[in-house]
Amino acid sequence: MERINLKKEKISKYLEDSGISHITAVPDQQKLDRYKNLEYYKDILYQCGKCGTCRTAYHEEGWPHVCPSGEFGKFEAYYLGGKNLLSWALTTGRLKWTENMAKIFYQCSVCMACMQQCQIPEIHHYAGEWLMAMREEAVQKGFGPMPEQQKYTDHVTKEYNPYMEKHKDRTNWITSNIKENPDAKLAYFVGCTTSYREQNVAIATAEILNSLEVEFRVLRDERCCGSPVYMTGQTDKAKEIAETNINTFKNEGIERIITSCAGCYRTLKEIYPKKFGFEHGIEVLHLPEFLLEKLNNDELTFNNKVNMKITYHDPCHIGRHMGIYEPPREVLTKIPGIELIEMARNRHNAWCCGSGGGVRSAFKDLSIFAANERIEEAKETTASAIVSCCPFCLNQFKTNIDNNEIQAFDLSELVRKAI
Amino acid sequence: MNNSKVVSELEQIVGDRYVSDEPEIQFLYHYDFITAEPEGKCDIAIMPESAEEVQEIVKIANKYKIPVVPWVSGINFGSIATPRKGGIVVDLRRMNRVLEVNEDDMYAVVEGGITWADLKGYLDKHHPNFRAGITYSPPGTGVIPSCLCYGMFDLGMIGGTGAEFINGLEVVLPTGELIRTGSCSLSKYWFGRQPLPDISGLFIGWEGTTGIVTKAAIKLWPKLPYRTDFLPIASRMEDGAPMMIKLSKAGLGIVDLCMINMGWTQSLQCFDQKSVAIDPVALGIPDFVAVITTQAYTEEQHKAQCEAIKSICKEHNIEPLTADVQVRNFPKNMWGLIHHIFPSTGGQLPIHFWTCWDFSRGGGGEWIGCYVSIRNVVKYYNLAREVCLKYDKTPQFYSRIMFGGHYCVARINVNFNKNDPEDIKKTRQILKEIHDAVQQLDGVIMYKPPKWVVQYYKDKTLPATTKLVESVKKFLDPNNIMNPGQGIGED
Repeated sequence: MERINLKKEKISKYLEDSGISHITAVPDQQKLDRYKNLEYYKDILYQCGKCGTCRTAYHEEGWPHVCPSGEFGKFEAYYLGGKNLLSWALTTGRLKWTENMAKIFYQCSVCMACMQQCQIPEIHHYAGEWLMAMREEAVQKGFGPMPEQQKYTDHVTKEYNPYMEKHKDRTNWITSNIKENPDAKLAYFVGCTTSYREQNVAIATAEILNSLEVEFRVLRDERCCGSPVYMTGQTDKAKEIAETNINTFKNEGIERIITSCAGCYRTLKEIYPKKFGFEHGIEVLHLPEFLLEKLNNDELTFNNKVNMKITYHDPCHIGRHMGIYEPPREVLTKIPGIELIEMARNRHNAWCCGSGGGVRSAFKDLSIFAANERIEEAKETTASAIVSCCPFCLNQFKTNIDNNEIQAFDLSELVRKAI
Repeated sequence: MNNSKVVSELEQIVGDRYVSDEPEIQFLYHYDFITAEPEGKCDIAIMPESAEEVQEIVKIANKYKIPVVPWVSGINFGSIATPRKGGIVVDLRRMNRVLEVNEDDMYAVVEGGITWADLKGYLDKHHPNFRAGITYSPPGTGVIPSCLCYGMFDLGMIGGTGAEFINGLEVVLPTGELIRTGSCSLSKYWFGRQPLPDISGLFIGWEGTTGIVTKAAIKLWPKLPYRTDFLPIASRMEDGAPMMIKLSKAGLGIVDLCMINMGWTQSLQCFDQKSVAIDPVALGIPDFVAVITTQAYTEEQHKAQCEAIKSICKEHNIEPLTADVQVRNFPKNMWGLIHHIFPSTGGQLPIHFWTCWDFSRGGGGEWIGCYVSIRNVVKYYNLAREVCLKYDKTPQFYSRIMFGGHYCVARINVNFNKNDPEDIKKTRQILKEIHDAVQQLDGVIMYKPPKWVVQYYKDKTLPATTKLVESVKKFLDPNNIMNPGQGIGED
């Protein structure tokens, strides 16, 4: 007779079976397409019973809270259940669009931790789609985006970045020791945050590519991928941006793109073809995927020890949005000297850093609340650094860490140290 | 009611961020969103952070004679947190802290808005050798409302109903005074309700019509190191129930003793509406599934308990398979959630609503849940089953034998499509028919009852009893502001 190990009482089997994905085994489950409009999804909205399961990661020991929007906003409206039923009220004419209604739908980073928890199959799989569809509708009705988001969108239109910076300065981070091949078919798509705010990440990535003798180039007319515009419901504008970018890639003969930004990665790889219908045929890789491929082929070896206890933060855009959880961890744990300690909320239950979905520009209090919660969680692990592979997350942590209580790094920075 | 004047006064108490009369916020308090009960109306929603703030809110409500509805998650099967008469919904979820855990006396003092997720999370982190019950409701539902309304957990055989888990209460009365019940009323310890006059009963089973509970002590239990979950299956409820009754009287470290029919089992297997058998019995599918959970402190003790349980099962010609073995006998695509719900098989999950009925086709569910004399439980099932089948609904039955076998709970779910008015109408009819049918049996009393059931009981009770109950309510709530239109309260 086996003695129960109380620690093992957590749901290890459940996680081994990919947790909630057992739902996909349900016979005759209603299968829907993704990236459709509200009209397409509206019939399933009222399945939500506002039961509150979306608020906590009940797969894990401790049943921790997962929704920054709800935990900050407190009222039911700010949780997925509330948003589901407000969507239902709007689509059935029970309520009308108002400024306040739009604010509720925008006060959310669309991190999608909520839908990971819900066991209603259609909500589990498609809630993120109609949260975005509601933003699209808010824009169509003239209630979205939020003023701060409109301001950066205007700048994206003029200067191709949301940071109020000049386009001509975008590649200022490139130093003479970075070797590019102007004829390379591989582009390093740097992204706006990395280009203007986290240039260390760009430099580290370029140096890694150089050390691997990978021929690449940075496009001198690289522009915003459109993610901050798309995520605020401005689909038509984002689509125009995508079209321009794809034309640039084609004209430059690009066949493969590496990006160090989680948001750019998701936008180029998923949103362009699946939402906008632009089948560009270009292979898009996120840096950790690329590095893992090199490690597995013995084309990359780590020569230096990086003695550091770290914890890894899953960026929403590659984690829940794209299902990439393990490659960054595999790369990090192959670095000699690195000790990786997980935060209680990790992988599909990771707490969002609070910067995405237009939240950091429009809802600063929520954004800071979310960041601080994650920083505290990272500190609880006793790690000396929180590592991510999204410059937006990185910048959010750096901005909100007080007194250097913990450091924040991008994965590329540690890899560069190890090579 | 002049909302803006009241809102402005309420803002003085909790700050403007936590008061709202905006339609987008109100809307989510109007409905239960699950049951077939009619919608209500929330005029103002407020989220206090302390008992003192609750007192101030109640005083304002008295001043203007505005209804006050205590609220945590707002979902239950009588829709008893739906504001029937408008007014202020006091959403307690900012009061979600564990204030104290006493491991010697095994209780946790918690605030009025704490959820099961909050409590389990806290205990897992800070007191990992102790546990509260795991409810079948979702993790976001309230601990205290569940206990006050006789909800139940997976410790029902040793602890009884949620009400019996309550050691003491702190309550804001409908007039705004703060009182305490139980040992905490005259000491710093919240170990129990004995030996004082048990005035906790003024707030238990009253559907939130006699006060707002701002703190409670909830009993905890040790996690014992040895545990086995048995999952025996038999053809019919009649075959299995006698075995369960015998087990309930045998001790054997049994902490949970449930029987469910195949209708509910199919839900736990995550079948959807197109795949379930409406009447599994007609197809020759077994219709009795039991959950028997036993725990022990030593291996020898546990072995002996398990052997005795197996022996009782075999006496009734039922194979005493453990949950992990039984589940592996099913085809893998029929495992659903069953193999995730027991710690001894690797999990301990709440059984979410989706597994109680088919949310994927309209998301509605309501049940007739009753405390029942054990001798009537099979009759209860058969009467309810007949009504469901008459309306082409899968009967989903569940019963839990409670408190060492002193009584049991029996309930039958009815699923419906919330988007289909005809289905809602039909469901209301089915619920009434089931209720009327099971009332033919003596000793069948519904918990969390909607208003239409409360009226039935008022008519049935001895007039002097009803008068006493009404007098108590009037004494506690002279302005009839506390959750009016629900429970025993006047309309």
